[in-house]
Amino acid sequence: MLPGDRSGDAGPSALASRSRRSFLHLLGLSGATAVAGCSSSQGDGTSDETHYVDGTSTGTQTLNFLSVNDTPSANRIQLVLDGAYAITPEQEIFPLWADISTDEGRVYTVELRDGLEWGADYGSMTAEDWVYMITEVFQADSNWANYPTPGEWQRAGEPIPVEKTGRRTFEVRLPEPDPAFPLRPVLWGAFCMPKGLIEQYRPAEDQEGLAQDEAVQTLAYAGNLGPYTFERWERGSSFVATRNEEYYLREVDDVPDEWQNAPYFDSYTYRVVPEESTRLSALRSGELTATDLPASRVEQFEGLDDVAVKVFPQAYMTSLIYNQRANGSFYEALRKPAVRRALAHAVDKRQIVEDVRRGYATVAHTFQPTFSKWYADEAVRELGVGETYSHERARELLRDNLDGTPYRYEGDRVVDDADEPVTLDLVFAQGSQPIQTIAELVAQEYDAVGIDVELTGKQYGSIVEQHLYNSWQGDGDPPWDAGPYNGGPRDQSVSSRPWDLILGITFNTYPRTPTSIRGFSVRRGGTNFYGYHPETDFASLFETASSTVDEAERRAALAEVFGALSVEQPFNFLHMGVEIVGYDSAIRGPEETFGYSWDRNTWRLDGA
Amino acid sequence: MGLKWYTARRVAWAGVAAFVILTVTFVLLDYAPDPELARIQFRAAATGADAETAAEAYAERRGLTGPLWERYLEYLGNLATGDWGWSDTRSQPVLTAILTALPYSLMYTVPAVALSTVLGIAIGLYSAFNQYTTTDYAATFVAFFGVSIPNFWFGIVLLLLFAVQLGWVPVLFDAELARTRPLSLANARQLVLPVFVLGTSAIASTMRYARAEALEYVRAAFVKAARAKGASEWRILTRHVLRPTLVPLSTILVGDLLGIILSASYLVEVVFGIPGLGRLSLEAIRRQDTALVLGTTLVPVLVAVLGNLLQDLAYALLDPRIDYGDR
Repeated sequence: MLPGDRSGDAGPSALASRSRRSFLHLLGLSGATAVAGCSSSQGDGTSDETHYVDGTSTGTQTLNFLSVNDTPSANRIQLVLDGAYAITPEQEIFPLWADISTDEGRVYTVELRDGLEWGADYGSMTAEDWVYMITEVFQADSNWANYPTPGEWQRAGEPIPVEKTGRRTFEVRLPEPDPAFPLRPVLWGAFCMPKGLIEQYRPAEDQEGLAQDEAVQTLAYAGNLGPYTFERWERGSSFVATRNEEYYLREVDDVPDEWQNAPYFDSYTYRVVPEESTRLSALRSGELTATDLPASRVEQFEGLDDVAVKVFPQAYMTSLIYNQRANGSFYEALRKPAVRRALAHAVDKRQIVEDVRRGYATVAHTFQPTFSKWYADEAVRELGVGETYSHERARELLRDNLDGTPYRYEGDRVVDDADEPVTLDLVFAQGSQPIQTIAELVAQEYDAVGIDVELTGKQYGSIVEQHLYNSWQGDGDPPWDAGPYNGGPRDQSVSSRPWDLILGITFNTYPRTPTSIRGFSVRRGGTNFYGYHPETDFASLFETASSTVDEAERRAALAEVFGALSVEQPFNFLHMGVEIVGYDSAIRGPEETFGYSWDRNTWRLDGA
Repeated sequence: MGLKWYTARRVAWAGVAAFVILTVTFVLLDYAPDPELARIQFRAAATGADAETAAEAYAERRGLTGPLWERYLEYLGNLATGDWGWSDTRSQPVLTAILTALPYSLMYTVPAVALSTVLGIAIGLYSAFNQYTTTDYAATFVAFFGVSIPNFWFGIVLLLLFAVQLGWVPVLFDAELARTRPLSLANARQLVLPVFVLGTSAIASTMRYARAEALEYVRAAFVKAARAKGASEWRILTRHVLRPTLVPLSTILVGDLLGIILSASYLVEVVFGIPGLGRLSLEAIRRQDTALVLGTTLVPVLVAVLGNLLQDLAYALLDPRIDYGDR
């Protein structure tokens, strides 16, 4: 920083010195801005500071990670707290604060690095801090800190034993082997708080006191634990962190050189810009370094020299979900896998991907993206593409498989037992034009095979409350209850409002820990709101896949799972999403792979 | 005594109105579906955790436990002692959130209101004095343009033209700059477009009202008499036409203008990324931050009530014939 200059204070948006194109574009601005006193001038109107400005639509809610349950908050905290370890796109552990190891997949040893120092006079980070936080916060009976996901640190309702084994080591002793444990978001990316800070509030279980503590509000305890230091948080506007000159990785030998010198920006700012067109304008003008792009605007930005468009695979899947619970108007038919397969023949997935998503998506055939190392190409049955997209074939299969249901073909329309044409209620999530277009397309496709579809758009919250939540309507207590999304057997546990098809609720496919989809795939799964009864014994396959340390056995079990899901079609797998980001073209580092942001601390400007 | 009694009654009614609005808002918020809660539960269920436990933690964190009436009474009790509550979605006291956001809103609404009022009345009077001339038609066109053009779209177009293409102003609003150097040229540059967008919508209605009201007096007998007595055009304009025109105009200055400003500020602040009261309120509603929604609801309620009261009092000042003695 130059003498007398407070460009950091003035905010990077005034003159975010990032790339040549930004300089050139801002030349017109720099004069006036310098007059205003917010430019760091070297005499030639430019600055040697580099600022990364990330444009986002929403701001953070809190910097207290103990109650964080949203990505924007976690992203900001990650700038000043590295977290335990990162995971590379190759699904390897990259130790940051700690390394994790195991012999047989049940007992995991976590070893903290030397030289990790808290700020605010809390001393060094030790295993004591971790064990105290895990046992007294995450596993506390009362959940006094209102930790959003206490279940992560439990197995079968019991706390996972965690024990300190040295000043900088502790063990996590799982009741059953779980080779994928390091890849679950339990210790992966986990933050920690000093014991001395938490224990001020633990005895009185004072969650409010902890949340409002100055050190928590300003992340003052972060010390040398992250690449940046908290600078300021303007609620609803910006979060600014400046380069941490004491960053512990500088003193570490076992990381690549680019990590030792990280980060490569003098400041990292999240700017909250709620309106998409304003964010995109700011990207064009050089005021933002990066921001998400909608598929509809990619073509426009690809033509700009100053912006590099990158497309990152995502694990979120859009599906057409069938109601197989007893309050659907077509549920008797939808409970038959053959009928669901027939319907899958009627919808052209390629058209959805190419025309609606403008090519920025990939066709899905099972509950796993094709880039996943667990995707089993040979086992997965593809429907709704190529020759398997055929209205004729869909009709043929429907006609053959409606036997035993109250439905049949009357001419070219499907009718019920009162000879009334079948009309399905498709509920879609409002707020996304592509989702609405896909809903309209599905209605056309179903019409072509003789089924009328009525479209109803609703807000996400209303869909959840009225259609996803279901509860026991029978007499007495339900024989079992798997939570608000699966309140019991499908004949008696139904949602408050009927539905037949839902579109716009995306599912995470968990390519790192694919057994996490169990809740979607088994009869008593916590997220099986659609009442799916698998014909395949998925429960035992998941059991095998999650407990075996033999990777071949695991691969075989998962291949069977994904193959069977593609055949049984619990819902119509439509497409996997992507994330599209527009960067300042001078930015080097982001690779177009899944989990691309794991090494964002090493990203830099061209030539830096 | 009459004016004091009238004012006291109006203030008391303002309290009743605020109470009713707060109660309705509180109840509506409680019954509205909460998408965040749904997400948290779904994520917990998807990861094999107990969705109910996750929901309980969320409710505890957001202060949503206990019966509705109990929570509401607690809120009112706190409010009476000056405690507006804690905003969970911003991790700060509600009063701090409002006091932080308010200056950002005032930075562009005050100039916009001042400009639209002065210019609107001036252009309206000019049009009235020059009815059916080219300049009158031009002013009318500007007025209809301002009323008709959607602020949201207008703001985006202006940003594209003046910020992206010409580079005269920044695209992004720099809150730090506005906070630390509110009177600087750099701050003025980033406020030009929001003031202009808000001003164009507000100026239009003021101008049309001013023109219509002034036309009533331009050919009035007392104006002709003043002119016959040799009064200058400036004196006729300011003393004989403007003053009676201001009485009905004061109603729209508080009512219509307040409506335009408050509703338009939502859009203007979203487009220009200004972290003012409009966005604060919008985000609070979206995230169902009850304490913050109620706090941000109170502000316009108070402004509207006080504004209307001042407007009534202004009647008496502007027109001596109006008296509140027997009301």
